[in-house]
Amino acid sequence: MKAMKTQWVYRFAALGLLSSLTAGFTAAGVAQSVSGQAYGAYANTPLGSVGQTALAVLPPVSGTDGAIATAESDGGSVGGVLSADFLNSNTTGALGTQGDPSAASAQSVASLGNVDILSGLITATGVVANVVSTRTASGLVSNANGSTLTNLAIAGVGSLAGDQPVAPNTNISLPGVGYVVLNEQIPSGDGVSSSGLTVNMIHVYLQSVIGGVCTPLGCLPGTVTKTGEIIVGSASSTVAM
Amino acid sequence: MMREHRSLIVWPSLIAAGVLAVACTDQPSVSMAPNRPSFWVAPPPCPAAKFTGGGRIDPPHPDPDPADRAPGTPGPAERPPIVGKTTFGFNVFLGTDGSGHCIVTKGEIQVVHHPSKTRWHVSIHNGVDDFGETVFASTYNAGRCVLVGLDGMTARVNGQAGSELTRMSACDKGEPGSSPGFGPDSWRWETLATANTPSTAPSGDTDQTLLTGGNIQAH
Repeated sequence: MKAMKTQWVYRFAALGLLSSLTAGFTAAGVAQSVSGQAYGAYANTPLGSVGQTALAVLPPVSGTDGAIATAESDGGSVGGVLSADFLNSNTTGALGTQGDPSAASAQSVASLGNVDILSGLITATGVVANVVSTRTASGLVSNANGSTLTNLAIAGVGSLAGDQPVAPNTNISLPGVGYVVLNEQIPSGDGVSSSGLTVNMIHVYLQSVIGGVCTPLGCLPGTVTKTGEIIVGSASSTVAM
Repeated sequence: MMREHRSLIVWPSLIAAGVLAVACTDQPSVSMAPNRPSFWVAPPPCPAAKFTGGGRIDPPHPDPDPADRAPGTPGPAERPPIVGKTTFGFNVFLGTDGSGHCIVTKGEIQVVHHPSKTRWHVSIHNGVDDFGETVFASTYNAGRCVLVGLDGMTARVNGQAGSELTRMSACDKGEPGSSPGFGPDSWRWETLATANTPSTAPSGDTDQTLLTGGNIQAH
């Protein structure tokens, strides 16, 4: 009888141990991750190209930890394609908070000054791209609060005085060139298992028309082809559970 | 005789080599770090906390919660204000040194003041900044806020152009830290003393300011 009782005690102890181990694995097995990236300028055009300049990429974050990456550049120019100065980027991320190991947050900032795109077609004295992705009580969210353009001017279109936010995904045609998207926002995730946002403050899409013929009977349209792009002020962040 | 001759050659050679080694070392003979104020009191121990954040402030837009302003720091009107668009990113790890004081064991801070085109950068490794000085810290407001650089930490200004003694305060008041509108998270940057600093760099205090964008996380 005593042996049987001891056996049950061992079984309960084993069960308890198994439960606590399982709970430990569950807690440790939460697939949390954060990522981020920011850069000042990028161009890929037939007239000239430059890689992502002042690029900061968040290093891997694990456990309840935090990380940062920064990048800085005094500026430069690529022919008549793009010039800018005072480029600064940072991206930071953290997992877990005091009392809440499932917390996660990533935030990225890219900024630059005196931007000139395509020899004065688009100019701005300042650009800030600012994104954050974080977990709230109602789920995972991302926003681009604090993203602005300063003294933006687009030749033949108009200008904005001072430092101002611009409506997300403002699309403006640039005849003979293509089009530009201001405050281009590209969200990702479902808000439950992940949330992310990329903001490109100025994204120029270069286009050309190939083909197309006109006869006495009428004209056949050509095919619009993307020939290049220029991105100024780009920031991304993502959190995933 | 031969032995004496050798000594005559060897010793001056060694002395010359020593002098040359000292002259060629990378260590500056004169510290470019600003002098630290002597009014502060060493901080008590702190938990092994971490603070991470990044975003933007647009002072003046003060944090209305008095508890978010670090104890012992000057009021907003006591030093020249630093105003205008300021972006930042930081990651700091707190620990306790051998004397029981709260310090930053490692960290990095980038701050950019856009109107003056000033960039500050602080790197902290093994408890000391780039100039070999210990960076003391404290947490307050129930651990939701951190004050980094109690008696200052030296930041490089615009790359190698200069250095300034600086201090940062950050408060994590909720998620996300900057929606809707301003706050609830807040952040502050102070310059305490300058040395060899570009004349265009602002000097003073942003005050504890609500975030326009970004987030701060105590973890």
